[in-house]
Amino acid sequence: MTEAATTNVAVLLSIGRHPVSGRTRRAATDAQALEMALALRPKRLTAIHAGPAADADALRAYLGMGLERLTILVLPEGADPVEPLIGHLRRLAPSLVLTGRQAEDGEGSGMLPYLIARGLDAAIVPDVVRIGPSDAPASTASMTDLVQALPRGQRRALAVTGRLIATVHPSAPPARASAFGPARRGVIEPVAAQATADLFLSECEHRPWRPKPKLMRVKRGGSALDRLKAATESKSGKGQLLVNPTAEAGALAIYDSLVEQGMLP
Amino acid sequence: MTTTQIRRRVDPRAERAARTVLTGQRPRLLRQPVAAAANERRRDPRALRAAALVQSQPRPRYDWTRDAASAGTAAAVGIAVAAMPAIPLRVIAEPAYLVLAILDRPGGEVGEHDRQVIAAARLLADAGGGAVVTVCTGSGEALAEAGSDRHVALPDGWADDYVPERRAAAASALMTALSPRHILFPDSPDGADVARRVAAAAGERLFTGVQSLGPDRATRQSAGGSLETGHRPTRLMTVAADAFAPLDGVRHEARPLDLETSVAVNEVLPRLGGARRLAVDPDALSLSETDFILSAGNGVTDWPSFADLGGALGATRAGSRVVCDAGHLPRERQVGASGTVVGARCYLAFGIAGAPQHLQGITGVRHVIAVNTDLHAEMIKRADLSIVADAQAVMPALIRLIRERRHD
Repeated sequence: MTEAATTNVAVLLSIGRHPVSGRTRRAATDAQALEMALALRPKRLTAIHAGPAADADALRAYLGMGLERLTILVLPEGADPVEPLIGHLRRLAPSLVLTGRQAEDGEGSGMLPYLIARGLDAAIVPDVVRIGPSDAPASTASMTDLVQALPRGQRRALAVTGRLIATVHPSAPPARASAFGPARRGVIEPVAAQATADLFLSECEHRPWRPKPKLMRVKRGGSALDRLKAATESKSGKGQLLVNPTAEAGALAIYDSLVEQGMLP
Repeated sequence: MTTTQIRRRVDPRAERAARTVLTGQRPRLLRQPVAAAANERRRDPRALRAAALVQSQPRPRYDWTRDAASAGTAAAVGIAVAAMPAIPLRVIAEPAYLVLAILDRPGGEVGEHDRQVIAAARLLADAGGGAVVTVCTGSGEALAEAGSDRHVALPDGWADDYVPERRAAAASALMTALSPRHILFPDSPDGADVARRVAAAAGERLFTGVQSLGPDRATRQSAGGSLETGHRPTRLMTVAADAFAPLDGVRHEARPLDLETSVAVNEVLPRLGGARRLAVDPDALSLSETDFILSAGNGVTDWPSFADLGGALGATRAGSRVVCDAGHLPRERQVGASGTVVGARCYLAFGIAGAPQHLQGITGVRHVIAVNTDLHAEMIKRADLSIVADAQAVMPALIRLIRERRHD
């Protein structure tokens, strides 16, 4: 990890929504992003929220994690937060911007970090779990090393040139607990911002989500018995069977099968 | 009861008439009964039911579509042959518009999610005589049966590399070259990443995670899954997993599309580089996300060998309920209904008999290998490779074999 990338860090924080009760809270991946930023110990750490000032109380949970102050760009209800955020970040010029992967409330399209990266002409990396030196040395001054989460628990190391915007994956280090005293003492600074209304969202129609029936994999063709078996039974009985082989023969059969499945080289 | 024989109808008057001997002074009745004439037109519901029975265990199942009069295998075979004609090829020669499906195709094989995206693209294309253009690495032959009309192949080198910027640039280039009405992406980690890059570059709105789709309305989940948001289909959309059924019984051309310009734009200066996979400690992964599980049951007593084998195979260790109850493995390593339902690609089970709750936990596993001393265990029936042997003998032999092959 180079010094340059960690001196000036900005974290974008949103207001989360509890999946069951619907109450406002700190958003899970945003809190992990803040945790990652605090762990980097930057010289300058700026936490920014863009939205209506009325919801600011939910943001105190972030202040309870050890932040001293938090900037809120005050926008009217239903405004697009992208342009004010880009304008504010241009003034701050952070070398690293961290945020969650997707908002827990509102549209939640996950587009905001990409649009900000476009606006700031920065690189965007999704699903980051670690920022810092990897086991390979050889990284030049302007590069940032990071580790990205892939499906099925796999990890990928990357090197990124220049300014970076990273979204944090849920399997990143868990966020520290929020303490009440610091949350009360922390300062929320409102900053007035100009924003335009989000026309697309007002065009959309919203209704309560109703769970849909699960997609069934129906096999067509064949006789009624085949379709019935495909629908009701799990795959069984067509395997290879070795009765009382020697231990070596059994081990060899397992080894060959694993190689065939690509599990062993 | 013989099933095919038509049941005798008892007609006492006819029987009596058949036994009556009229020669002599007075009519005499014979003692032994005479076989009565069978009624040909009488329907025997029990025989019909028995003929339609295709499975009696665990509960009876009936197939009423079979011809009950000629019950047997011949009729069933005849139906099966008649129901399998060659699927006619659907050609869309002059498409009214194009719908692009930009697929992941991880590891070169067409995944289930990719097929679902093509099915969603077909919904949009079939509404007005459009054609589906698939864009991915590799050739399009495998996509013809999934419903692709045209195919654009991306460079083969991109299949294994992490090049989201180049993929996004190629998608943007296709967007200007073909001017499609819609572009669909899978809502997978990589697909959604590329989709968002394209949307940000084009300055257009991305409708993510589409759950239902029609020619004039698309819906998605919003506000953390509590609201359904509807809009007419936008130009750029990502398709949620398991929202659309993949197509079946269709055949399209998947003809390579001639493009004037190459899609491989190399002038993008990539900011991301040096991508490489990291070695992951298999025991640090959670059971629900790992790909290869080594599992122990009550038949395992040699725990040091089990741990060595897990290290030698690079597999995540897990166990049945009995093993976790006994404290040989921690509780979060339990597979089954009361533990974790796993979706690994390969499951190697030592000494597991296969309780229903355990089998429930491994329904999603593609390849199961079982080692058990009991030939009649349920696990042996479920497994793709079953070995009836003692786990304590096979585990050390397998460790030796792996070490031998590694040193070769």
